[in-house]
Amino acid sequence: MPSDLDSQIEQLIQCNPISEEQVKRLCIKAREILIEESNVQVVDAPVTICGDIHGQFFDLMELFKIGGTCPETNYIFIGAALPSPTCLVPMNDPGDFVDRGFYSVETFLLLLALKVRYPDRITLIRGNHESRQITQVYGFYDECQRKYGSSNVWRWCCEVFDYLALGAIVDGRVFCVHGGLSPALQAIDQIRTIDRKQEVPHDGAMCDLLWSDPDDITGWGLSPRGAGFLFGADITKTFAHHNAIDLIARAHQLAMEGYKLMFDQTIVTVWSAPNYCYRCGNVASILELDEHLVQEYKVFQHAPSDVRSVPLKRPPADYFL
Amino acid sequence: MADNDAPIRATDNDAAIARLSAVQKGYLVDPYIATLVPRAHLQQPRPPLINIGTYLRSRGIDDLLDAWFRLAGGRKVQIVSLGAGSDTRFWRLASGTHAEQLHKYIELDFAENTSRKAMSIRKSKVLSAALGSPDAVSVGGGGTTLRSPVYNLLPVDLRTPPVVSLEPLLASGDEPLLSPSLPTLLLFECVLAYMAPSASNALVQWFVDYFGSPGSSGLLGAVVYEMFKLGDAFGRVMLNNLKSRGVSLPGAEAYPDIASLSRRFLDLGFTAAQALTLREIRSRYVGPQELRRLSRLEMLDEVEELELVLDHYCHFVGRSDVWGLVTKDQVGSGDDDGDGFGP
Repeated sequence: MPSDLDSQIEQLIQCNPISEEQVKRLCIKAREILIEESNVQVVDAPVTICGDIHGQFFDLMELFKIGGTCPETNYIFIGAALPSPTCLVPMNDPGDFVDRGFYSVETFLLLLALKVRYPDRITLIRGNHESRQITQVYGFYDECQRKYGSSNVWRWCCEVFDYLALGAIVDGRVFCVHGGLSPALQAIDQIRTIDRKQEVPHDGAMCDLLWSDPDDITGWGLSPRGAGFLFGADITKTFAHHNAIDLIARAHQLAMEGYKLMFDQTIVTVWSAPNYCYRCGNVASILELDEHLVQEYKVFQHAPSDVRSVPLKRPPADYFL
Repeated sequence: MADNDAPIRATDNDAAIARLSAVQKGYLVDPYIATLVPRAHLQQPRPPLINIGTYLRSRGIDDLLDAWFRLAGGRKVQIVSLGAGSDTRFWRLASGTHAEQLHKYIELDFAENTSRKAMSIRKSKVLSAALGSPDAVSVGGGGTTLRSPVYNLLPVDLRTPPVVSLEPLLASGDEPLLSPSLPTLLLFECVLAYMAPSASNALVQWFVDYFGSPGSSGLLGAVVYEMFKLGDAFGRVMLNNLKSRGVSLPGAEAYPDIASLSRRFLDLGFTAAQALTLREIRSRYVGPQELRRLSRLEMLDEVEELELVLDHYCHFVGRSDVWGLVTKDQVGSGDDDGDGFGP
């Protein structure tokens, strides 16, 4: 398998999808590895933490240029590999959904192949987009159908989603999670008791970890997203204190400068999709933690447009005109 | 010249399809838009972000127009919609509570757009019926002009000097189409941004002068909706993306912030001006019940991107009441419709 897998990784790095049969075997193998992982994976520094990628494949290549390749660099991906619903814009011609530069299939499968090839050098954490409901309503399902002509690949990927870890802890001091905190959880140890092998629920601790956002409020607040909660500096600092951690690293929210530290640097949002949806104009970043957990944010720009192999039939972004 | 303008004319198609999508998804009610979109039943819906923005854009202008009708009291009013495209506002007004107050509704646009619209109107029983008796409706100018007692659709290139373009259409003769003695509202929905500031200033100035002369009503209002603040990272990407489809926004680049938008109208002789971004409208003026209704229509989980986009579009209202017929705080203060949405 390794040599096979290496050639599949090579193929995916060229942004070429692998065969349906290869996807099937990759997903089975990935599940065997992921099922052994705990809900909160223990990771040793040095490690590089990445936020949302959202299917921007060529920008993921920029990320590897800045951060180094796997397995040379140890990675944690706390972000959604899949595209955001707002990005997917159907063409006006019926049936002609153009791929607007989004390569969610290739992005997710590449990360998964790296996981299977180097299980101890890359940690994948589930984001709110890695769910049946969201992928089915918005895009990833369609992309799988378009590229493979059936929903099998989508189904196998969804089964992998259910096995992804909910968080990671680096040297016991940096807690990584996609969204944020939950009023149902005071201790990181409580996360270990969740039965994670399921579709993301609509509420409860597992849902909150994937959906919540820090906000300039006191205590807990209702989330405008319709799932998860908003949580304030007091909640964040209490959680950090009780769990003896220095930092919560999370993704989930666009940060125009690539990252955003909040609450006296107890929490950071890391965003790794530059010029998100080819519309937002933001830069992206990754967070490098050295062996002493010293933080270095490496900011990067979007890939030059000429590397995108598929010519866009229309400008990528949608506006009110 | 005509070819260079095709991308700008095509932006009307974007707007119409976006509106159709927002209607199909339940954000807006508009029984007329489907008749103005070619192959409406085959159009794919737009993403939730675009639907929400289209809703805010439309609701905002609706409410500003309501405020305008109230400001005019019981008097008859005129509305001039510049770069109207496939807007359905006339038909919505004509079937609404302000129908009796509407003296003239004049739409101006490129001849290519007016002829397409005139054809759609003639082909649609619903749209034609609102114009009044068929005897009173005439199509002319090689199919580019449609005239009826209230609704008038006229071709004009708004960038040409108003003295030679607008004046003959609106202000000629003993009984000009546009009466200088009635309260009049100018509607600029995504049109000034596409024009060089010198051309759009001349356009606005022509109306200010027409309604500012002795014997005129002295009450001229303007509602503007357009993109702005294009000097930041988001704006630069927008300019680039639009450039790739042949659209430039000289009018938006010249007015980088809210203050410069207001100052522009005050400099042209308006006496009051106020602007709100779509983001402000969503966060401050849409009631919690309505927000809940919208959130149930479609899932939209990325609030940051939505707010970033909405922050680059604004509604602007201004008025020129040179004869002091109204007090200064009337426009924009009339949020008495109970839904918490204004001004």
